Amino acid sequence: MFLAPAVALYVIFLIVPVVQAVRYSTYDWNGLGALSDFVGLDNYREAFGDPAFRQAMEHNGILVALSLVFQLPLALGVALLLDRRMRGRGLLRVIFFAPYVLSEAITAVIFLQLLQPDGLVDEVLRGMGLGALVQLWLADLNLVFYTLFVVITWKYIGFAIILFLAGLQGVPDELHEAAAMDGASSWQSLRLVTLPLLGPTIRIWAFLTIIGSIQLFDIVWIMTLGGPAGASSTMATYMVDQGVNSYRIGYATSVAVILFAVCFVFSILYQLFVLRRDVRGGTTRMAG
Amino acid sequence: MSRAQSRAGSTAPFANVPVYVVALLLTVIVLVPIGFVVLGGFRTTGQIAADPVGLPDPWVRHNYVSVLTSSAFWRQLGNSMIVAAIATGLVVSVSAMAAYPLSRMQFRGREALFVFFTFGLLFPVAVAALPLYLLLRQLGLLESLLGVALPEAAFAIPITIIILRPFMRAIPAELEDAAAMDGCGRFGFFLLVLVPLSQPALVTVTILSVITSWNNFILPLLVLTDPSKWTLPLGVAQYSSEHSADTAAILAFTTLSMVPALLFFLAAQRRIVGGLSGAVKG
Amino acid sequence: MKIWKLLGLAALVTAAATALLTTTTASAGGKEQSQTLVWWHNVTQGPGVKLYKDIAAEFQKQHPGITIKAVPLQNEQFKTKIPIALQSDSPPDVFQSWGGGGLVDQQKAGKVADLTKYVKPWIKSIGGTAAGWQVNGKQYAVPYSVGVVGFWYNKQLFKQAGIASAPKTWPQFLAAVAKLKQAGITPIAIGSKDEWPDAFYWDYLATKLCSKPVMQSSAVTYNFGNPCWTRAGDYLQRLLDAGPFQNGFLATPAQQGASSSAGLVANGKAAMELQGHWNPGVMQALTPENKVPSFLGWFPFPNVPGSKAIPGSLLGGGDGYACSWKAPQPACAQFLAYIDSPSVQRRVGSTGFGLPVRRGTENSVKDPNLRTVLKFRSTSPFIQLYLDQAYSAEIGQALNGAIAKQFAGKATPAQVVAEIQSAAKRK
Repeated sequence: MFLAPAVALYVIFLIVPVVQAVRYSTYDWNGLGALSDFVGLDNYREAFGDPAFRQAMEHNGILVALSLVFQLPLALGVALLLDRRMRGRGLLRVIFFAPYVLSEAITAVIFLQLLQPDGLVDEVLRGMGLGALVQLWLADLNLVFYTLFVVITWKYIGFAIILFLAGLQGVPDELHEAAAMDGASSWQSLRLVTLPLLGPTIRIWAFLTIIGSIQLFDIVWIMTLGGPAGASSTMATYMVDQGVNSYRIGYATSVAVILFAVCFVFSILYQLFVLRRDVRGGTTRMAG
Repeated sequence: MSRAQSRAGSTAPFANVPVYVVALLLTVIVLVPIGFVVLGGFRTTGQIAADPVGLPDPWVRHNYVSVLTSSAFWRQLGNSMIVAAIATGLVVSVSAMAAYPLSRMQFRGREALFVFFTFGLLFPVAVAALPLYLLLRQLGLLESLLGVALPEAAFAIPITIIILRPFMRAIPAELEDAAAMDGCGRFGFFLLVLVPLSQPALVTVTILSVITSWNNFILPLLVLTDPSKWTLPLGVAQYSSEHSADTAAILAFTTLSMVPALLFFLAAQRRIVGGLSGAVKG
Repeated sequence: MKIWKLLGLAALVTAAATALLTTTTASAGGKEQSQTLVWWHNVTQGPGVKLYKDIAAEFQKQHPGITIKAVPLQNEQFKTKIPIALQSDSPPDVFQSWGGGGLVDQQKAGKVADLTKYVKPWIKSIGGTAAGWQVNGKQYAVPYSVGVVGFWYNKQLFKQAGIASAPKTWPQFLAAVAKLKQAGITPIAIGSKDEWPDAFYWDYLATKLCSKPVMQSSAVTYNFGNPCWTRAGDYLQRLLDAGPFQNGFLATPAQQGASSSAGLVANGKAAMELQGHWNPGVMQALTPENKVPSFLGWFPFPNVPGSKAIPGSLLGGGDGYACSWKAPQPACAQFLAYIDSPSVQRRVGSTGFGLPVRRGTENSVKDPNLRTVLKFRSTSPFIQLYLDQAYSAEIGQALNGAIAKQFAGKATPAQVVAEIQSAAKRK
């Protein structure tokens, strides 16, 4: 059958290791000797009781909220503004999408350079006369997480803009014209015609963004290692720190399972309640 | 429904000037960090330390030249390409084959199987790292580019199927009947009708898979110890630690390792948007 | 349809088989005569790079049947790759070992070879340094460079601030910090992003405040009930309250780039840094001229008057190599013996790569500061291994993390001790 190769590849290289990882999570194991110290669910109990892990979870939650609250209107607004016949539209698309193509590691290295004290960012601010705004972007405990959010937004906003632009293309002109003929203002046209039709696009974007926010690792790890003192930690950096630095493989994989469970529950709920109406009806138009 | 662009753009009565201003502002924000890295490679570290913001003065070539003439860089580039090629070839063909029954055939447990495939999205690679390493060792796949490509392909299957399925679903049933009437078996239909018609989506997933594989760090880190087998991200990490004092050299190396991905993207960018918009509808 | 299932599986099997074939033929060592030693080390920059290439070449010349396959790995990658490699059937033969609790864990899991009988003929020649790489009195790894942590300082900046001579006691040290601040000079550079530089301060204050038996037993009983542990944090807090560090120190790395703490001192932007014996080598690479700054001096961590510790106790550690349980012997032990041979040890000293452990090679060290460090190391009554290395990795990491919190103003001295204790209780 057609399904066989995919299933084989998927099961061998993804499912099997993952199941093994779950098994490890029930042991206290430092990765060196035999798997001998069975602790059942103790690792999970410890994780939920650890203030550092709870702090990391909080950070992930804040990230999800910030992404939805800031990135969505920003990307949407830009997409709406750019959704017109204009010179250089193709070029703009390329430019905005470029950060997405870069690896997270490269992005992190770039911004590490820019955000040094008296680095490019500070110099630019001073040059614009905004020197009073200069902060310790990465060293200030209260600021570091939001600094990272800005970097993440830089990397992924282009993806959102392109996605929404693509979605806007699916809204036929005729509907706008009809609305205008009915006396709708452009704001009403936006609210009652465009946004609802953009719904599926927005919902898919939200899904991918939320999952990405929960799993965030590379950028944080390279820029701050989750610090200072855990001020920018995420569940994933917490997990890697426990596994790699403290050699607590069993414990780290239990954190990974928790991460997976969070994504899983969210994904199920989201598909059931939010995406349901988008998925109904199998045949759709092929967009050009 | 014709496949031509259905819209050219709205005719909303916004003045054009603010739009261009916004576009310009965003372009600056996006390009300045990248520009900093590219230009930084043309300066010396001393220049950068003395004046972080300035333009190269004088333009220095040796950073870029030394990277371009280092055999390590080209070897890593080659390795990255091989891995990306194998992983992408595998994942696209395998996922297309799987997406066909998942989108057009009816059988019990179809939706369950689809959900099963989407699990992979929810699990970060870092977690399966240790068991994956042990598994690869058992299969004798360590220190080999294949050992990197196979798990990469496996982890890319979920997103690929998710994008391909709605596309395949959208192809009219009449075509299937017509093919059957012409005596085409299932595989014939797949190869001769489905695949060509799904081209935009296939191109999209190819591009996404190439980019993901190209930027992958953790998997090659685990599997490849021998420096001659390293991929580019490993090379970048090694280079920036070896030359940690030489900021300019690091910037040059980073820029050059961005170039292939960006070039590839430039060549294929139109397809990405087309593919994404279709996926979004489904 | 079955055909495609079979074809798919066949393709996979073929691929696996091909890979298996290529890897096995590549690693097929051959006959008994020729042995290969896979050597994982962390020297990727600085003076050691050439030295290591020479070591491998010379050893192979002296032992024609043995091939050395050197694999340099970035230091941070070691932490990830070593446990994974030791878990497999084909670990590296020779690999970096920092001794202490980490080595104990490896020995308990049977991953390192007992070298005692192989090294007996020459182990005494490296004196007391061998102790840090023993488990239960048996030698499981051998050090090749051991140093002590101290203050690397800028003599010119000190003079500028009116500090006559390097501080010898804690109160004198705090006074010096105050004078530097008054003169508008950043007193201390620190790489808090990496967390372990923070730990040096706490570890040292503990070493200077707690008695030797308390320190030594802590690595065995993991009991931190003695009040001297909390007092260490109290003394540290007094230093932190004086605001002695550079702007944004919480995000500064220790060794990477000119804006690291090492770079700041190297380029005259800060007056001193508490670091290990590797610091001159690191600083050298971070200066535009690629030379160790001429203004550099070294003084040991000040004593705390009225404490139970022996004055002159020092914090230190070093690098060594272990043989995995699968390494060919005596080839592996012979290689380690070569690294500790007088000829190599002298070059360890003369290139500025490290501080040789072999008695009689001390004169090879050229750098006057490193000679001072070596002198203090040899004459110190008690050297405590850095705590995150003396304890097992799990507790050591918790310790570093707790101390980092105090530096960030997020934990009190009592809380630091409590966190370390609870991590230890989990064991």
